[in-house]
Amino acid sequence: MRNNLPTIIGPDAPMTVADEDVAALSFRGVRQTFMKPDGQTPMAILSDISFDVPRGKFVSIIGPSGCGKSTLVQMAAGLLNPSGGSVFHNGKAVTSVNSQIGFVPQQAQLLPWKTMIENVEFPLLLRNVDSRERRERAREVVAKVDLAGFEDHYPYQLSGGMQKRASIARMLIYRPDTILMDEPFGALDAQTRMVMQHDLQAMLETENSSVLFVTHDITEAVILSDTVIVMSRRPAKILAEISIDFARPRNVFEPHACPGFSEAYNEVWSEFRNQLKPSGTA
Amino acid sequence: MTDRVATRTDLKQFGSLWPRLGHWLALAAPGVFLLCFWQYASGRLIRETYISKPSEIGKRLFELFVTGEIWPNLAVTGKELVLSYVIGVTAGVLVGYWLGRSPRVAAIIEPYVMALYGVPKIALAPLFVIWFGIGIWSKVVLAGTMVFFLVFYNVYAGVRSVDREIVNLARVMGANERQLGRQIYLPAAAPHLLLGMRMAIPYAVIGVIVGEFTASISGLGLFINYASSTYDPAGVFAGIFILLAIVTILNAAATRIERRLLRWRPQENSAPPVDGN
Repeated sequence: MRNNLPTIIGPDAPMTVADEDVAALSFRGVRQTFMKPDGQTPMAILSDISFDVPRGKFVSIIGPSGCGKSTLVQMAAGLLNPSGGSVFHNGKAVTSVNSQIGFVPQQAQLLPWKTMIENVEFPLLLRNVDSRERRERAREVVAKVDLAGFEDHYPYQLSGGMQKRASIARMLIYRPDTILMDEPFGALDAQTRMVMQHDLQAMLETENSSVLFVTHDITEAVILSDTVIVMSRRPAKILAEISIDFARPRNVFEPHACPGFSEAYNEVWSEFRNQLKPSGTA
Repeated sequence: MTDRVATRTDLKQFGSLWPRLGHWLALAAPGVFLLCFWQYASGRLIRETYISKPSEIGKRLFELFVTGEIWPNLAVTGKELVLSYVIGVTAGVLVGYWLGRSPRVAAIIEPYVMALYGVPKIALAPLFVIWFGIGIWSKVVLAGTMVFFLVFYNVYAGVRSVDREIVNLARVMGANERQLGRQIYLPAAAPHLLLGMRMAIPYAVIGVIVGEFTASISGLGLFINYASSTYDPAGVFAGIFILLAIVTILNAAATRIERRLLRWRPQENSAPPVDGN
């Protein structure tokens, strides 16, 4: 089997030459139905989801757990075909695994048998980039995510936050124009999470990437995003698409000190609160 | 195993030979005690014709090697061991990997393999002699089958245990099928494979020796069988001690190789993760 990936790409060239007007990601009338565990009854997860991730923008999806947020990310990555509707990446329908896109999963998912820097190089290895260039570019991104000095550590020798950084470096190294992040900081402790949010904001400032970011944390969504999309309970539809306009760079350590944060937070919360089931009800 | 790792760390810490020496002494003590007790009991508590005695066995071993009587037997058994092991491991890896990656084929074939696994291979030894002759091949097939099943099951389980999410992630990062196999499935299955290979060592020895017991013209098994049927307990034990030495050496080598190849896995007393974000 031959790889028909673009054989990379100078350091400054974007991975795909994309039209500025075309949205990085478009979801059009996306529906998803799974079979219940009994294998008989269909269960609607997503009903008629349409939204865009405009080029260079950071869009968060927030919704109650189990509402199918991750399903949307899976679709954009081409790992799952929607039951109805389509997902477009740079104007092209996603029909098979989308290797033009960057994906940061919830767990760092580093390969345990590779050292940190070998993990970061991995996407270039898959693209048959020669080893010297691989190492050179890996050192660059490793410095960018602030992991210099830990190149030869195996994943088990790194803390959770460092594993996450390596996982982000591994995604950044092939310079995808569009990035999917599926609750990337959900498993980290609160302090580490704030540091990661801060650093992510700084990293993206220079990348001009388009990001689709799934989270269940309102503060995280508001502080990082240009747009927050609030989803309902199953079968999920979009309740609101809220623009977050207050100035960047934003201080993730003291979100409430940012002028405009509270208003934006309240706007999201007023949509989101109705979707939380009071405990004890089915 | 854990003890040895600990000893090494200690060694680095104190830069002294004593901890290692102490470890070896502690390791040797039970064996030495057993040998001494055997030496004492032989002729006093139990008749020497039944159990021989260590000094007698040592003398016999010395003679066997000095006169060269044992070498042809060792050569034949060694050849059978190597062949059966290499063939069994290769077949086990190939079939295990194939079925691990093809769940649909596995659903059909696995019950058959499982059923065959349950067949006592030793009961087939006489048949193998008829099929493959009295030479080395009947032993290679017998031992090779035993090695195969152990390696097969471990590789199969290893390939199937690969995290679906890592595979999907690698696909998104651009991996094709060949790269998935080479970069994800094989390394992920490596710990299982190495475990299976280590477990298979004694089974290869058992298979070869049973094969030689059944019918053969040369080999350690034949030597032991001959000594046994001529009321020569010293000969029997000499043969068994050689087998023990072979298994111990091979196992130690396998452990070393395993530790070297799997150095990416946390060891019991390795450094904890670096602190930091």
